[in-house]
Amino acid sequence: MPPPADPGQAPGPPDGGWGWVVVFGAFVSIGFAYAFPKGLAIFYKEIQDFFGTSYSEIAWISSIMLATTYGAGPISSILVNRYGSRPVVMFGGLLCGIGMVSASFCTSILQLYICVGFITGFGLALNLQPSVIIIGKYFLKRRPIANGLAMAGSPVMLCTLAPLNQFLFDNFGWRGSFLILGAILLHCCVAGALFRPIGPAIVAGKTQATGRKDVLKEVTGNATNAPTENKMEEEEGKDCCEKINQYLDFSLFKHRGFLIYLIGNVLMFLGFFAPIVFLAPYAKHIGIDEYSAAFLLSILAIVDMIARPTTGIIANSKWVRPRIQYFFSFSIAFNGACHLLCPLASGYKWLVVYSAFFGLAFGMVCAMLFETLMDLVGASRFTSAVGLVTIAECCTILLGPPIGGTLIDTFGDYKYMFIKCGAVMVLAGIFLFIMNYYNYRILAKEEKERKAKEEDPQSVRTESEDRNNWNKEPALDGPELEPLREEGEGLKKEMKGTNEV
Amino acid sequence: MPVSFSGKRLGRLLLLLLCFSPSPSGGSPADAAMTTQDVSQSQANSMTKMQAGLNESSSEPITTTRAVNWQTQRSSSDHLRLEHNASNPALLGPDPTPQEFKQATNENMSNVTVVKHEVLLSGVSGTPVEKTITLDRATRIELLCKLDAKYSHLKSLQVTWKKGNETIRHINKTENSWSVHLQILDNSKLGSYTCTLKGEEEISATFHLQVPKIQGREKPIVSYEGDTAVLICKTFGYTPIAWTWYMANGSDQITINGSLLTDKYVINGGSANVTHLKILKLTKEDDGVYQCEAAFELGKSVGKLKLEVLSLMVPLKPFLAIVAEVVVLVTIVFLYEMYSKKKDKYANEKEFDQVEQLKFEESNGLENSSARHRKI
Repeated sequence: MPPPADPGQAPGPPDGGWGWVVVFGAFVSIGFAYAFPKGLAIFYKEIQDFFGTSYSEIAWISSIMLATTYGAGPISSILVNRYGSRPVVMFGGLLCGIGMVSASFCTSILQLYICVGFITGFGLALNLQPSVIIIGKYFLKRRPIANGLAMAGSPVMLCTLAPLNQFLFDNFGWRGSFLILGAILLHCCVAGALFRPIGPAIVAGKTQATGRKDVLKEVTGNATNAPTENKMEEEEGKDCCEKINQYLDFSLFKHRGFLIYLIGNVLMFLGFFAPIVFLAPYAKHIGIDEYSAAFLLSILAIVDMIARPTTGIIANSKWVRPRIQYFFSFSIAFNGACHLLCPLASGYKWLVVYSAFFGLAFGMVCAMLFETLMDLVGASRFTSAVGLVTIAECCTILLGPPIGGTLIDTFGDYKYMFIKCGAVMVLAGIFLFIMNYYNYRILAKEEKERKAKEEDPQSVRTESEDRNNWNKEPALDGPELEPLREEGEGLKKEMKGTNEV
Repeated sequence: MPVSFSGKRLGRLLLLLLCFSPSPSGGSPADAAMTTQDVSQSQANSMTKMQAGLNESSSEPITTTRAVNWQTQRSSSDHLRLEHNASNPALLGPDPTPQEFKQATNENMSNVTVVKHEVLLSGVSGTPVEKTITLDRATRIELLCKLDAKYSHLKSLQVTWKKGNETIRHINKTENSWSVHLQILDNSKLGSYTCTLKGEEEISATFHLQVPKIQGREKPIVSYEGDTAVLICKTFGYTPIAWTWYMANGSDQITINGSLLTDKYVINGGSANVTHLKILKLTKEDDGVYQCEAAFELGKSVGKLKLEVLSLMVPLKPFLAIVAEVVVLVTIVFLYEMYSKKKDKYANEKEFDQVEQLKFEESNGLENSSARHRKI
């Protein structure tokens, strides 16, 4: 195919080809980001004995790591907006490696907090966000499948890391293990190397000069700048707010879909992780031996592993994709229902059933976690959206297990913790369901209005803007149009200055 | 036989010791069923009970009576001190002398509860029924073998209680249960006690009396040269009197004295049932098996820990191998990308040139045709 003479006429996301290699890279990267903090728990007893600290002081390492991974989301987004995914992931991998290697030479628990908690946590944050972002750039039609496959990295990595960590610990002690783990984390750099940048800059080889500006405009995704930039492409927004928005799109807070997602997810995470943390202790509490209790977690991980790509495939089907938000709310409510039924499980057999269903529900939710956000805000603004969402989730993620723990300690019974988690998640699911119902209706209305104004002179401007935003350009099948159209709606609204709240 | 003594206490002590040691005929020393009673209350009672109990035992009556007399006499005078001492853990200090040790034992003897352990025999003969009892201090103990109701039809059962090869006198407590009373004072009393019921079939049960076990580690602790290693031994629920650390070098044991080499070894006891041995500045010679020994009233218990000291090169090799692998992979990825870009560029340029060529030929062709027309 001859190169396009027009700088703006770029083809859409490939939906295949090198994209699958990128999915593999994201698989590795996301896997490390989610599974690594959990895998470190094997070393804690030894470190506790070595430094002579209490268990809670050691548990802080995990908390700091988790908090940094989620809290550094916006920084990650800003860096991706500026430099693209690849350099950020490679730098993140390098940082993780440096963090763990320096941790192996630590002589106090405070140094461990810094090296393992902050540095490695920050490196993992720089891994997680860009991996999710680049999937949105490479896929559109098959995006749910790609997301499902990439998120499956988490349980797979966990299943690999747990025995590996045990093996390293038996042979090298905790210091040697940290050293080798630092080297293993460098594989994130390899994953990052696979993230070939994509966008108008790459495709139009001859249009390098204008292409660069296109990239800048594209990745900022600042819709309020769209009309001005259309006329004068060389000019960048010099205004203070616009400059901040260039790096991190705060105008997202006016986006209806984004707000719905944010509130629903923040609520959901309050009860998301606590059951996993307390599943094994609960099993031991009702009299099951240690190995069978650990086996419950393995069942969870295996079912999770299978559920994620499967959910991706289901979410990609033409019946579900247009209504993917409903599917997401359903899976959250299903997850909550599992927890509510858990106290009824009496005996090991029923706990196994619970673990299997929990694994299924957990996988379904995780697979669609980022897909639904992409669906709501569009791939261009997703970069900033994911950063803002993760920092908001950070608080509830950290609060969830301790609240569960206090419930257990106060009442002396695990069932209240399960009831609380179940109730919160069912509530979140119902909330999302209702709000998305309204959202879909309003979007359908706006779609009708948009079609009615097709002959409007403003449509000329819309078309040229469309050409520059290549991710909306390609002609697609019916079901795909709706998620894309609402991106157009969003942009149009920004242009017209209507508030969506 | 009473030995000539210097101190009053010592003499009393020795007497008591002799009297309470097992006689060759195997009679267990404390025969009377002495349950929880305050000595002050039951002094007289105990006298009579002891003497009544003596009728059953075949041990030397005279010395036992005397011992009992001694005990009850002492109890009456030292009653206050007794109770005080029984509840005062300070008596069981870090480094008690054998005197105080045994005295505490005997004083505790008089007003301590009898711990009862029971085993229900219901199984088929052949399957051994066992029960492990952990004791850390001197106790009065009652071991009971009870026959299940379904076997009550069996008559003419011959019941024997044995420790090793010695037979012990037992009491037929109820119709189908038999018990022995033991006063466990020192290590020699610990072991396995078996009750055997011989009828048409033989049913037996064994009680294993032992000191608390120490939780060591089966897997070795891995550490590095120049680093510090912390070895920990724990007992659960039982507080030993003293902890000692040894290093096993081949076949001999070297005691690790914490007060001697303070820049090499640091021994901490956090709480009484945990001990830490911190070894600083590790070298290859520190590699080996370490033993922590907990001294209880009734004996010693040993835990084994293995320490491995590695040099820094050991983890460094896999580390460098993995880093090299990562660098190679990243290089391959980038090279492949550059190669495929060049290929694309070359292909594009070729096409572009072809297009240009076609355009040129077209325009030339037009000119030629027009020229031809002009000529004609």
